[in-house]
Amino acid sequence: MKKIVIFTALCATLTFATEHEHEHGGSFEQSKFIPDISLIVDTGYVHRNVSNTELEKSAPTSNYGNYGTFKEFNTNNGFNLNYAEMMLHSNVDQAFELDGIFHYGTESVEIEEAYFTTKALPYSLKVKGGKFKSDFGRLNSQHAHVWDFADAPLVYNSFLSPEGINAPGVQFQWLAPTPWYMKLGFEAMQKGNGGTFANDFDKKDGEPLYVGYLKNSFDIKDASVLLGVSYANGVSNIKNAVSAAPIYKGNSEVYGADLSVKNYFNSYSFINWQSELLYRDMKSDDVTIGKDKKQSGYYTQIVYQMDENWKAGLRYEDFLQDSYGAKTTLNASYKTSEFAQLRLQYSHDETFKMYGNNKAIDEIILQLTFAIGAHGAHSF
Amino acid sequence: MKKYIFALLFLLPLTLFANLNIAVTYPYIGALTKAIGGEKVDTVVLAKGNWDPHFVVPRPSLIAKVRDADALIMNGGQLEIGWLPPLIDRASNPKIATNAKTFLDLSQHVELLQKPASVDRSGGDVHPDGNPHFHLDPNNILILAGTVKEFLISIDSQNSAVYEKNYAHFSDMWNKKLEMWKSKMADKNALKVVQYHNVMAYFNHAYGLTSIATIEPLPGIPPSSKHTMELIELIKKEKPCCILHDVYHDTKTAEFISEKTGIKVVIMPHDIGALDTIEDLVSLFDYLTSAIK
Repeated sequence: MKKIVIFTALCATLTFATEHEHEHGGSFEQSKFIPDISLIVDTGYVHRNVSNTELEKSAPTSNYGNYGTFKEFNTNNGFNLNYAEMMLHSNVDQAFELDGIFHYGTESVEIEEAYFTTKALPYSLKVKGGKFKSDFGRLNSQHAHVWDFADAPLVYNSFLSPEGINAPGVQFQWLAPTPWYMKLGFEAMQKGNGGTFANDFDKKDGEPLYVGYLKNSFDIKDASVLLGVSYANGVSNIKNAVSAAPIYKGNSEVYGADLSVKNYFNSYSFINWQSELLYRDMKSDDVTIGKDKKQSGYYTQIVYQMDENWKAGLRYEDFLQDSYGAKTTLNASYKTSEFAQLRLQYSHDETFKMYGNNKAIDEIILQLTFAIGAHGAHSF
Repeated sequence: MKKYIFALLFLLPLTLFANLNIAVTYPYIGALTKAIGGEKVDTVVLAKGNWDPHFVVPRPSLIAKVRDADALIMNGGQLEIGWLPPLIDRASNPKIATNAKTFLDLSQHVELLQKPASVDRSGGDVHPDGNPHFHLDPNNILILAGTVKEFLISIDSQNSAVYEKNYAHFSDMWNKKLEMWKSKMADKNALKVVQYHNVMAYFNHAYGLTSIATIEPLPGIPPSSKHTMELIELIKKEKPCCILHDVYHDTKTAEFISEKTGIKVVIMPHDIGALDTIEDLVSLFDYLTSAIK
């Protein structure tokens, strides 16, 4: 709460300061140096066939071991303010750019991302450092407001945590001099991210999480094909979210493969088929705490954008081991402009167990997302 | 070892005589750059001429195209705001950074019309710097050709004589065309028109046409039935000659209005490649100056 007050006061001072400068006729005017600012507000109304308490007591069967909850947004039945996200962006100087993304929940402020990026390195190299979302897979680096669905795929929530891989660290990316698009990336990040790479007990210094990936893209007529492989390797010390007892200790690897084919019919209409398969291989150091685990999960989705206003999506997802059912999601969204979107989503989820029995969860989400301020780039 | 030296000897002349590789955002800029740069430059055009210039898809393949560019020329005026920044960000090429001397923003070199006194998104997706479709005034093409010439000389002074010569040749040809188009359009002065989006603002300005309304209720916002009904009433009262329509929006609403009011829908290509017959800058303006009958 205190943080919100301080931050708001800071913003007010900034605004006042710039107005003040204007009055003085501009000899020392600084207003042109204000960074690009934007605010995104995401809010939703949720109706599901289980109560909030029942959902909390339920365990996702696919996530064996109860490695964290599955919900970050639209958690409660009824109205939800998911987040207000403030983004600041500017060049620092000729060598660096700086980005800050602040995530305001109803009672907390979080630095979602704060990182520098180099802009003048030779040989198509780029270095990023600070706290940032890893470029693992197709979705991890995307912010929630550009997702095609109101929630992340189960396999992402389960393997990479609902926040995804997002931690302090450093990233190196290189664009290969190939006729098509080929990007090679390597990241070293501080562990303790949650999901597979939680660091809940036995904390040790060092032991970073390593991430590597190779992404390719080429066009066939008006269709763009994206092909990627990703790999993450780190130490896991996971506690049970409810009982706080250690449930796993060892080294974990997550492999990812993604394929998207996005065909544009004109400037406003496209169809995108996107699929991703993630596999995790967890090697236990202490079988008395938890055993070795191997598991894979996937999602496959089709999104059709009809025109400037309407878009619809269908997603199917499942796990290949220890799965008791799949999840199917269907949605439609309407944009009044580039800056406001209404989305209605229905999902049927058979991956949960309530009080030890399988329990299908049906959920309807009405989600509204708004953006003001600097014009963000269109996503690909 | 010998093999490598041989290979180097063969490759060396190639790098010495390598052309400037210039990435440009829209086809018309590509044509201008080629007209002035001639054989000394290679151009890579990022956007397609028959799609909406505001909504170019930032495909990853475009990153590969700008990755090795020696220079970048863009339209500017925020026309590329939705798609070029991520390409520049991800290309990791210092030569196309906005502060590089090998980066050219054409909008800085012409006078922009319709600069709004205040901007607010409730007024639609407005361009705070003014209307960015300035290349559709053929008089501006000459100014832009001069800008491109100065730019090429500034980054490749060795070939300045070539660029000067090409520019002189181009401006001679263009001045003759300007006279011809002016006389063709003389009887269109003070003609009233309706548009889908105000793409032809500079063309209208050049030849004295008055755009009385747009089919879009607000810039960037698709047609609404309420606005369309109001527009039909306005057309009946003001009697404009026709609806000037771009090639990338659906003509459904325009045809409905045409049916209700009896005024024609005239397709106006905005760039090279917008229609199959528009192959260069001359054919673009030949077409535009003949389109309104």
